[in-house]
Amino acid sequence: MTDDPLVRVESLQKYYYEQDTFVDRLLGREPQSVKAVDGVSFDIAPGETLGLVGESGCGKSTTGETLLALREATGGHVYFEGEDVFAMGDDDRQRFRRRAQVVFQDPYSSLDPRMTVGDIVAEPLQIHGQSDREGRRERAKELLERVGLSASQVDRYPSEFSGGQRQRVGIARALALEPEFVVLDEPVSALDVSVQAQVLNLLEDLQEEFGLTYLFIAHDLSVVRHICDRVAVMYLGEIVEIGETDDIFEDPQHPYTQALLESVPRAATSEHGRRVDALAGDVPSPRNPPAGCHFHTRCPYAREACREEPPAYDVGRNHEAACFRLDESHAYWESTPIAQNAADSEGADGVGESTGPDESPSEAD
Amino acid sequence: MVSPRTIRNLKREWRNNWLAKIGVALVVAILLVAVFAPLLAPYNPRSQSLEDSRLPPMGFTETENSTSSQFVNGSVQVVSERTTVNATWDHPLGTNQLGQDMLSRVIYGARTSLLVGALGTLLAMLIGVPIGLVAGYYRGRVDDALMRFADVMLAFPSLVLAVALVGLWQQAVWRIPDPFVAAGLAPSMPPDIVLPGTVIVVVGLVTWVWFARVARGEALSVREEEYVKAARSLGASDAFVIRKHVLPNSVTPILVLGTIQVAAIILLESALSYLGFSGTSLSWGFDINQGRDYLATAWWIATVPGLAIVLAVIGINLVGDWLRDALDPGLGGEGGSGA
Repeated sequence: MTDDPLVRVESLQKYYYEQDTFVDRLLGREPQSVKAVDGVSFDIAPGETLGLVGESGCGKSTTGETLLALREATGGHVYFEGEDVFAMGDDDRQRFRRRAQVVFQDPYSSLDPRMTVGDIVAEPLQIHGQSDREGRRERAKELLERVGLSASQVDRYPSEFSGGQRQRVGIARALALEPEFVVLDEPVSALDVSVQAQVLNLLEDLQEEFGLTYLFIAHDLSVVRHICDRVAVMYLGEIVEIGETDDIFEDPQHPYTQALLESVPRAATSEHGRRVDALAGDVPSPRNPPAGCHFHTRCPYAREACREEPPAYDVGRNHEAACFRLDESHAYWESTPIAQNAADSEGADGVGESTGPDESPSEAD
Repeated sequence: MVSPRTIRNLKREWRNNWLAKIGVALVVAILLVAVFAPLLAPYNPRSQSLEDSRLPPMGFTETENSTSSQFVNGSVQVVSERTTVNATWDHPLGTNQLGQDMLSRVIYGARTSLLVGALGTLLAMLIGVPIGLVAGYYRGRVDDALMRFADVMLAFPSLVLAVALVGLWQQAVWRIPDPFVAAGLAPSMPPDIVLPGTVIVVVGLVTWVWFARVARGEALSVREEEYVKAARSLGASDAFVIRKHVLPNSVTPILVLGTIQVAAIILLESALSYLGFSGTSLSWGFDINQGRDYLATAWWIATVPGLAIVLAVIGINLVGDWLRDALDPGLGGEGGSGA
């Protein structure tokens, strides 16, 4: 199944360059770049759901949009069924647009407030010149019913719907062209928990029914565990760990993944009063990421060797993580620990009251 | 295009805002007057009667000092006579120096002003809105080029532009047969409506920049909305996105600006007519120009059309304020005038 991926992303890069002023150019200053996505690679097999998790601003959404060619990539390749998406001509690009869809996070901003939901759902058909007005309307009704709304609501405006219902409209629009691949960009983050479950179940049903392949972008780990087959963990524009969902959750290898999982509040009485060992410090600016392993400024195990870039180590069962600790013979073990992080961590329950989980902020980038 | 929420807001503002009611009443009244001018005007606004010249409006009497030299007993004597001119109900707003009825002239002037205001605004929208939307949607160099061009247009004095264009086109004027006269309902009235083409074009060329600026601002914000991103991810072309998403979502402030611009254009038209560029003699600005020479002796010739302009502009601005408050609280007091 993994032999022939539907989507293959190869060292995808998206840099944003700050506007250089005339003076900058005059002085020959190097344009400063923000490395939103810095060399991300992964495969998604047909019918699979790959989760992409990480903190706000780590580049998950940018990855999703860049691989759909909604933003121009700075480097790297994306192959859709072996075809290079960035090298497609207009016709091929249009065919790709039909087969790969996206559902956005914000159900309020992603629906045009001046269009009826019927028009919104039928818009993809209109763009691709499919069927006539009446036919599109019928199809829109069908789709609305399929996502759990009623066909009689076809002439309503988005403002008359709740957040969960709007997200269903967004899903219906994404399904209108019968795509094979859907990028779900935090599709439930903006919804109430009870509604989240309904929408997640809907997404799972649709995947089964239409044989869809998902890239599921999220910061909520419990949601990811529920729906994803595999998970990729991103930190500052790079994937630090990728593997089967169960392996990631039961046996996380990268210190960042461990910290992320640790920070999830759990609903169990034995967990009551558990101290959450939050990560120290803030996410460094992607404008000037730390040299070497990006995580070394916050990693409890950081040593001098971490100022070099660690490669991804294979830890078996399709599970890879980028940390020197996975290589038992690496020079890492001989180098000196970086002081400021070690203080918080290795002294177990040290000083400094932690301020709670800052890992899963409710707002995304 | 108009959502139930919009209508709700309009109604709420309508209830709370008595100025809006005044504005709508004024605008509706002027519209009716303009449309039914041939039926409402007591006289043909162009027919002259010199014996009735310079009659004051109702409620005023005018004393005239006339001096004449006469031969009396072989010597020249200056005789000064004082005559009192009374207003009559025949000409409730008085007459001008040619004895034309001011009421009829003001009624007919509403046609010119509203036609130029509406058509000029329409032309300005047709030029400005697409330019603004394209500039805002594409940003970057396209934006720079279009907006710098707009700035150049803005720097151009409108009157100089008008003089140049009038010189080029010789006051192009369209004559449209008046339907009431054609139907025989008002046989003594002027047979056609004079549409001052040059003035409309000039006014459009001078004021489109405001529409371009507002449309650009709206496009800049709408283009960042996720539904635009969604449409692009579906493979929509730029033209499709601008037409189906950016334009409908920019339309509210453009409409509000439109009402304000109608008022500004009426003023501009008056200024152009005052200077003699209108191509029609049935215009408020033209009458003010005529009355200028008689301000000391017959103040009403300039004042009556001046008051008409004031009422029209106030009414349209009040309607514009109402729309702005109801539709777009964020626009503030901006808008700018073309004159």
